[in-house]
Amino acid sequence: MRVIVIEDDADAAAFVKGVLNEAGHAVDVCGDGESGLNKARTGDYDALVVDRMLPGMDGLKLLKSYRDAGGRAPALFLSALGEVDHRVEGLQAGGDDYLVKPYAPSELVARVEALGRRATGDIPTTKLSVGGLEMDLLARTVHRDGQKIDLQPREFRLLEFLMRHAGQVVTRTMLLEKVWDYHFDPQTNVIDVHVSRLRGKIDKDFERPLLHTVRGAGYRLEA
Amino acid sequence: MKIGRLPALVRTTTFRLALLHASIFILFSASLLAYLYYETAGHLGRQAEAELNAEFGELSAAYRGGGLDRLKQAVTERREARGKFFYLLLDGSGQKIEGDFDVLPLTSAPLGQVVEVNFEYDARTIQGQPSRRSAEGRISRLSEGGVLMVAYDVGELGEMNRRITEVVWRSAAVGFVLSLIGGVVISRSAAQRAEQLAKTTEGVMGGDLTRRAPVFGSGDEFDRLSEQLNAMLAKLERLVISSRSAGDSIAHDLRSPLTRLRNRLEAGLRDTDKDGPRAALVRSIDDVDGVLDTFNAILRLSRVQAGATGSFRRTNVTGITDELAELYQPVCEEKRLAFNYSPQGDLFVLADRDLIAQAMSNLMDNAVKYTPEGGAIRLEARRVSDGDVELVVVDTGPGIPPDDRERAVERFVRLEQSRSQPGSGLGLSLASAVAEAHSGKLVLGDGGGPPTRPGLSVTLRLPAA
Repeated sequence: MRVIVIEDDADAAAFVKGVLNEAGHAVDVCGDGESGLNKARTGDYDALVVDRMLPGMDGLKLLKSYRDAGGRAPALFLSALGEVDHRVEGLQAGGDDYLVKPYAPSELVARVEALGRRATGDIPTTKLSVGGLEMDLLARTVHRDGQKIDLQPREFRLLEFLMRHAGQVVTRTMLLEKVWDYHFDPQTNVIDVHVSRLRGKIDKDFERPLLHTVRGAGYRLEA
Repeated sequence: MKIGRLPALVRTTTFRLALLHASIFILFSASLLAYLYYETAGHLGRQAEAELNAEFGELSAAYRGGGLDRLKQAVTERREARGKFFYLLLDGSGQKIEGDFDVLPLTSAPLGQVVEVNFEYDARTIQGQPSRRSAEGRISRLSEGGVLMVAYDVGELGEMNRRITEVVWRSAAVGFVLSLIGGVVISRSAAQRAEQLAKTTEGVMGGDLTRRAPVFGSGDEFDRLSEQLNAMLAKLERLVISSRSAGDSIAHDLRSPLTRLRNRLEAGLRDTDKDGPRAALVRSIDDVDGVLDTFNAILRLSRVQAGATGSFRRTNVTGITDELAELYQPVCEEKRLAFNYSPQGDLFVLADRDLIAQAMSNLMDNAVKYTPEGGAIRLEARRVSDGDVELVVVDTGPGIPPDDRERAVERFVRLEQSRSQPGSGLGLSLASAVAEAHSGKLVLGDGGGPPTRPGLSVTLRLPAA
């Protein structure tokens, strides 16, 4: 992916660039709002990573201008402001995701890659398929190799999210935010337990596991 | 004159209250005295007036019936009857026809009109001493020419009027002075109480947080104000102490992970870590994450306590507990804890979903962490009799002794037994802050277990919407 990072703190920008480069993405860095906006408009980027507080023009305003000018690349806000109302402001300004500082590098990579996926593969669909696993979004059914798997509603949503991001790392925080709509981290391993239950249902009777744990990062569903 | 330039005495509430008191008193007593005057002196005057009217009316009737002769006869008869009235009848040329006086005391009235007169005349007392007395009467010009005057002596009446008036004025003066004194006395006591309150706040501002306003037990407004002030000061004192100790706790809580972090990095640098430098770095990152989590928790707690976050709307809290039950059920089963969730239908309150969910999640986290395997956790959502809503988490863990419960809610307090458990020590503080942000409260209680393992019940109480 080609990513532009608009961040005034040089150290932070270098860190983001390093992390994304390591994950195999091309990164351009811009240190202020004005030039960042110009570059984002003219360059052909797959995703924007925007710091919320920028000198000259703040991140919210920048993204609004970008969207008003017809920019369609998905955007991730980075911010130290993490309350729900801040997130809502970010999403209203045209952001697609919101990551609160400090964050783990794996979280950043997972979020950015999830954005790229959204831009290219988020076409309306009624069926999802990963390996032998098939999900019918209308009938709310799941089959693996033709064998029906019964899921609770929440497990269904969890699996749907994992399948939509198949091949990508999905973090626990992402799951809490997108599947449960919670913006805090419980102190107990509640998410792990849910994922392991789901794993029990989709992988237990099959030779090849689909749902992998990525150490120190999260989970990945992969054929 | 501007208020600010008034002399100090005039500016005091004491003086103003005294003045107000006196003014009101004067207003009332003036009304009272006016009424008194109206009913006494005024009444006598009106009575005399009415009698004069009647006398005059009768004489006029006599004149209309029989002309001047008839009138003269009537006047003569009346004079002989020695009533209270004096008469004087003059002919057209101004000559006296009949009467008690020789001349008219005033110029005559125009034809057909009646003129009221006040005049003085010379008379003799019973002892034969000459004296000057005042009289009041009426003069009327007769149609055939000639003048009739009827008058009465107002000496007695005047004297009574004068005395009544004098009494009224004296009482007013005495009343004014007395009410001024009363006002000063009353308002001085109020001013003293206010002064005591001012002294207390001054002392507190000076840094003495233990100062309290005196309460006299009379239950009056000043006592209530003092009690409120004292309650506020107690809360302030607690907050100051807790934020002081929070500072200490932050330092204390962060010192150990930071020291550990330093040692790890050092070991990695010298390549003495048993798993190699890489592993040292990985674990260092975990340590830093722990520190950052603590900071995030502090920030979030501060924001909630400052009321800087949350959008409050009518929310069905049963929806929140339903989701939490679903989120926590698996983890309970994993840890072999019996999980029991008993919602009680829809419960609407004015609430912020995310805050409530986070507070309850903290309570559930604690319950899962502290309840040993084989125990039980119960989550309840119910409406109590006064309409408030209670969200309750009950566990069968070690519980918190009653004496420690208040402290357990304070920032960073981790009771000795829980020091070994992971966590920032802010879970209960945050739940309590969330409760307060909703004008509710967090109540810690007994879990109802046996004395050796009483368990803990934590109730988040939210006021009725």
